[in-house]
Amino acid sequence: MSPTAEEAARALREIATIRARAAGFQDYRAESSQLILWGFAYALGFALTASFPAFILPIWLLVVAGALTAGTITACRINPEIPGIAWRYLTLVGAIVAFCIILNIIMWPLSAEQSSMIGPLFVAALYVIRGVQLRPRYLALGALLALVSVAGFFVFHSIFWWWMAAGFGATLILSGLWLRQQ
Amino acid sequence: MQTPDEIIHQPVRLKIMAALNTLEPGRWLEFVVLRSIVDTTDGNLGAHLSTLEGASYVKIAKDFAGKKPRTRIKLSPQGREAFDQYVATLHAILAPQDLDPSN
Repeated sequence: MSPTAEEAARALREIATIRARAAGFQDYRAESSQLILWGFAYALGFALTASFPAFILPIWLLVVAGALTAGTITACRINPEIPGIAWRYLTLVGAIVAFCIILNIIMWPLSAEQSSMIGPLFVAALYVIRGVQLRPRYLALGALLALVSVAGFFVFHSIFWWWMAAGFGATLILSGLWLRQQ
Repeated sequence: MQTPDEIIHQPVRLKIMAALNTLEPGRWLEFVVLRSIVDTTDGNLGAHLSTLEGASYVKIAKDFAGKKPRTRIKLSPQGREAFDQYVATLHAILAPQDLDPSN
């Protein structure tokens, strides 16, 4: 027996719902690997900065270069069907790095702590925007990253680097694991 | 009036087909991910996957990811075609209503 128009409309709505949910799942899973990777990178970078503050620039150059290389390989492995995924990824992360460098130059002189707040706060803002526009978990992630960063600067300034290594890095890693729990 | 494919026209199987159809042709989806998307139990999902596999709409592969057993599913070309036809049939059922000037 043929379904009624109402049943057909319901089935089409169900298909649209599943499509949206499937897209969300795939997006979260792809993002989770990047979050875990950059979480470890930030934790390592901030911990090394705390241990060897005189070498802050070479430390971050090496950490960012390493994370960028690993992130590009991961993005290509997870999304092989997206054309030009490597260039897209490099452009995205490159834009964030360029933003941080340019803002440092414009606002120079900055303390090391002030300088290192730019990247985390920019990333937090990006996730808030993405969360409002696309997927709610990113909103929570962005808000938490901002909260941890601001708390580190204003409340835990005496242990700033270790706070950021543990707090910011761990937030990224745990958020990556959270996105896998669906 | 056209009749939709009875194999697909079942709530859980419809969700399975819709989820798999979002993937690029040839791409696999892990059983656990599909279960989360469809929001059902292992047993229920397994039973409906067997029905779809029997109709040659899906392909199921069992292997190991490291030491962990893994089950993956993908749409077959016949399954993709059947789903496209199913969606077209639903639109065809709705079309006469859309043309009705009283609506």
